[in-house]
Amino acid sequence: MPKALVVLLAVPLALTACSSGGKTVSEEGKTAPPASQAAAAAPKTIEVNLTDDGCEPRNIAASAGPTTFKVTSAGGGVTEFEVLDGSTLLGEAEHVAPGKDGSFSLTLRPGSFTTLCPGGAKYDKGTLEVAAGPTAAATNAAQSKAAVDAYLVYVKGEADQLIAATAPFAAAVKAGDVARAKNLYAAARSHYEAIEPIAESFGDLDPAIDARAGDVALDQWGGFHRLEKALWADGNVTGMGPVADKLEADLVKLRQQINTVELEPAQIANGAVELLNEVSTSKITGEEDRYSHTDLSDFAANLAGSQAAFDALKPLLAGAQQALSDQLEQRFADVKAALDGHKGTDPTGNGFALYTTLTAEQTRALSTAVDTLAEPLSKVAAAVLV
Amino acid sequence: MAGPAQAPLSRRRFLAAGAAAGAVATVGAGFGLGPFHRETPAAAGDSRGSEPFHGLHQAGIATAQQDRLLFAAYDLITTRAADVARLLAEWTDAAARMTDGLDAAPAAASSLAPPTDTGEATGLDPAHLTLTFGFGPGLFTKNGVDRYGLAGQRPAALADLPAFPRDALDPAHSDGDLCVQACSNDPQVAYHAVRNLTRIARGTAVLRWTQQGFGRTSSTTSGQVTPRNLMGFKDGTNNLRTDVAGFGEHVWVTAADGPPWMVGGSYLVARRIRIHIEVWDRSSLTDQEATIGRTKTEGAPLGGQRERDPIDLSAHHGGEPVIPVDAHIRLANQDANGIHILRRGYSFTDGIDPQTGQLDAGLFFLAYQRDPRRQFVPLQQRLAVDKLNEYIQHVGSALFAIPPGSPAPGQPIGAALFG
Repeated sequence: MPKALVVLLAVPLALTACSSGGKTVSEEGKTAPPASQAAAAAPKTIEVNLTDDGCEPRNIAASAGPTTFKVTSAGGGVTEFEVLDGSTLLGEAEHVAPGKDGSFSLTLRPGSFTTLCPGGAKYDKGTLEVAAGPTAAATNAAQSKAAVDAYLVYVKGEADQLIAATAPFAAAVKAGDVARAKNLYAAARSHYEAIEPIAESFGDLDPAIDARAGDVALDQWGGFHRLEKALWADGNVTGMGPVADKLEADLVKLRQQINTVELEPAQIANGAVELLNEVSTSKITGEEDRYSHTDLSDFAANLAGSQAAFDALKPLLAGAQQALSDQLEQRFADVKAALDGHKGTDPTGNGFALYTTLTAEQTRALSTAVDTLAEPLSKVAAAVLV
Repeated sequence: MAGPAQAPLSRRRFLAAGAAAGAVATVGAGFGLGPFHRETPAAAGDSRGSEPFHGLHQAGIATAQQDRLLFAAYDLITTRAADVARLLAEWTDAAARMTDGLDAAPAAASSLAPPTDTGEATGLDPAHLTLTFGFGPGLFTKNGVDRYGLAGQRPAALADLPAFPRDALDPAHSDGDLCVQACSNDPQVAYHAVRNLTRIARGTAVLRWTQQGFGRTSSTTSGQVTPRNLMGFKDGTNNLRTDVAGFGEHVWVTAADGPPWMVGGSYLVARRIRIHIEVWDRSSLTDQEATIGRTKTEGAPLGGQRERDPIDLSAHHGGEPVIPVDAHIRLANQDANGIHILRRGYSFTDGIDPQTGQLDAGLFFLAYQRDPRRQFVPLQQRLAVDKLNEYIQHVGSALFAIPPGSPAPGQPIGAALFG
């Protein structure tokens, strides 16, 4: 398949790491040269192998920019590879034989091109699809840094509010005031839900703060959902004082760790998608807040966090990716409008209806709206690749 | 991410290797046949290969019927006609590629982007994949609203089906603004196609319902052996054969029929027909054969000896008609009633009915025709007295206009409607 064959050697290791982890902040990231400089300097390489049948890959996808075609042969009948724009020859490698590689370089611009491999037994023609590469704006390191800084301001603000809003909640738990604690639960944790992908990058902090029943051993279970169960399922918070104290301490630890975070724009983009994936897999199903049914409050927080990440990245999308940016703007608004259709007055719901009041049709409509937004959002990481 | 050391593997090269392995396996299987062997519905050599996508008609209608189906019906959620036109253009491109055994789209240039193709068909032969697109009434008007300015283009033949006696239609298995019929001899290939088309549609259309079919219940060309449906009877013996001259007059819309954008197209009626398997299984062989009007093992019409013996509707024995008055083949027989449709149905099984614990299984009836008002509708009305009704129930229904094919790359399905 074409995608298995297109080898983009130029992508630096630091970015390879964040593409697989998405949310992790690698240690190497601190010492590696800024990805933007590395990517801008080195041309991409596409390997082409000549066989009796023709050229492999037959159909090539690439991104715009300086590109080297490295042409090799296993000894078949085809010895030549050409890239054409219509009938105009752009570049070629001739007389390629085993051990005698051919290479040529082109600066590819976006568009559809033809490849030729004269004498191919099965085919002598293929395609080269060149997508628009990273936008000029995105290659501006200063602009990238501004985007990251803007997002970190948001993250720190949410973390501060998380600590502030959890304090009265924890106090109510410790005072044994179940009703008051219930009313403060959703509002406190919403600040966590808004920045959850960041918290998840700190190893054991997320399980300590946000594990659900069954995620960890029962004797180690603490955090928001342990208190949720005590408040709603047990109706009794006796013995929960230490759990509340530990939660507050963990949130302080989280806030401190956030000061050390270094991010790439692509990671922020992936985090924005992850927040919507959270909605799709646990809020839409009512699993997240299975005792309190305050899932829509968490949904709203995930959405707000995703939107904040997108807002920070928006300047990087201006220009070549403006259409994507506009589409996302509209779809964020659509999801928000759909969610705002479920405002509620139950004091525990933090302004939203309880999950249990939704019909199957209503949850399906919300789910569809989220999918509709998340699909194009998943394209942002590549679009802001520097 | 692929590294330079990774051995290049193209899907087509992989296929060539697989085809050789398949040939060996076929020979081996031949030696294993006992004195009583089951007929193989399709020759093993036929299961691989690709069907042409472009043409005057869409593929998947006259195409020799493949063994597997995934049918998908969609609701349009956009308010703009341009979005629908763009979706059809993107679907056309992706369908042409996947039919040819390629990924749904050229690979993404960056590994930070999700793969453009979902990948589960990588290394698989297209196995005669066809993707057939249709327009439901909701494309033209929905709940009385002309969403896309197309109400005036709605073909008269795309008239809502009337209610038929005994229908028990579930909206969750009925209707749809758009449809895709994906047929292949490999169910994973069909699934891959629908999954990727659904992904492409995100934001414009959402899945309304899907139906998998695991075995064809019709033959559509002369060379195909008649398959059996879940009642254990051969089905489709007298179906139209698309390689026999004259079938087109029953299937393709002509210029005289109109509207112009439908010329070369067809109409598809889809009915999800539940078979009450448990009840059928406790009926005597005599009852079963009298219900269908054929013998169970051979498939011969009652009074005949072989499957393709002529159906003698006038034969009597002891004062009673040999083929009962309410037998299915008497009422449905296409030669006797002059109504011909191209059936392209599949058996389905979808777990159990949660209410009864019985199998939720049956026939997903698909029929192509030139005008449902003159074909499916009167035919189904004749079947109101069919003895078969004791054992079956229509639980889903949908009707689609199937526009003509995409004649060449760059010409989307339905372009004449949106042009």
